[in-house]
Amino acid sequence: MVISVSSKLDFFSKYAVKTEIIKPKRIAFTVKSEDVRHIFEELIKQHGHGAFYVSTIAGTDLPGENKIRLDYYVVLLPEEETIVIRTYLDRSNPLVDSLVDIIPGVLSGECETHDLLGVFFKGNPFLKRGFFVALDVAEKGIYPLRKDSGV
Amino acid sequence: MLSRLKRGIGTGEVRRDYKVIRYSPWLLHFNTGACNGCDIEVLAAITPLYDPERFGVKLSPSIRHSDILVITGAVTKKAGERLRRLYNQMPCPKFTVAVGACACNGGVFSKSYNVLGGADRVIPVDIYVPGCPPRPEAILDGIVKLLKLMSEGSVGDKCEQ
Repeated sequence: MVISVSSKLDFFSKYAVKTEIIKPKRIAFTVKSEDVRHIFEELIKQHGHGAFYVSTIAGTDLPGENKIRLDYYVVLLPEEETIVIRTYLDRSNPLVDSLVDIIPGVLSGECETHDLLGVFFKGNPFLKRGFFVALDVAEKGIYPLRKDSGV
Repeated sequence: MLSRLKRGIGTGEVRRDYKVIRYSPWLLHFNTGACNGCDIEVLAAITPLYDPERFGVKLSPSIRHSDILVITGAVTKKAGERLRRLYNQMPCPKFTVAVGACACNGGVFSKSYNVLGGADRVIPVDIYVPGCPPRPEAILDGIVKLLKLMSEGSVGDKCEQ
């Protein structure tokens, strides 16, 4: 990782449970789900809105561990370095604080993860079923990206 | 465009005059969930290299001006609603060409939970151009075959009678 980027992320050590390199030049910080919003708030406070953007939110169903993994891919500017903020949610009650009020760009990512995987983003008033998923599937309450959805 | 009705005496047969579109059919290309392979081939087919204007084929700016709808990609449940709406907005007489294996019968996506199948699950299709993706020559060939069928009058115009 570039030195200028690592100096930006000093405060991550406060939140990160685990830091790992998931592939060359890609560092992932595993944090508690209740800390996700704090990290982004602090990132905005220290470096401003122009210093990063949330590229995508990727959810993965892990039925063996009874967890849902949520990866926030964050691109730091102007270095254009991608980092991953990773958190694990309880599969029976996947709940995490929404970022849509502080970072409007996460709207599509949060809505998609909700519609396809059933993650609830607390504080996002725009979540609804049936925009990404076909209505007949959504009406049955099926989340297609869950491994046991049966679709 | 006026479609003039001609009725054969005593047969109940309805025939329309396709003179205008036989000379200059306007195309509209719609992607219902393709991987973009067929779209690139459709775009290649309308370049000067293949020169579809020798058959009078031009791209139409709006579905309301088009005579032929070119469909690429497996029809997803979401896109199916849009495809039907587009088709209903087309002026009469109207014709459709399904380009690629996916638009023909769903292709490799046919068993997916969000895919209806080929374009003929939603709207009537006149010409199927199989291939993954088909060559631009094949796409033009399909369109020219459709023009031939039109001039022979052997393809229905799907207008309500």
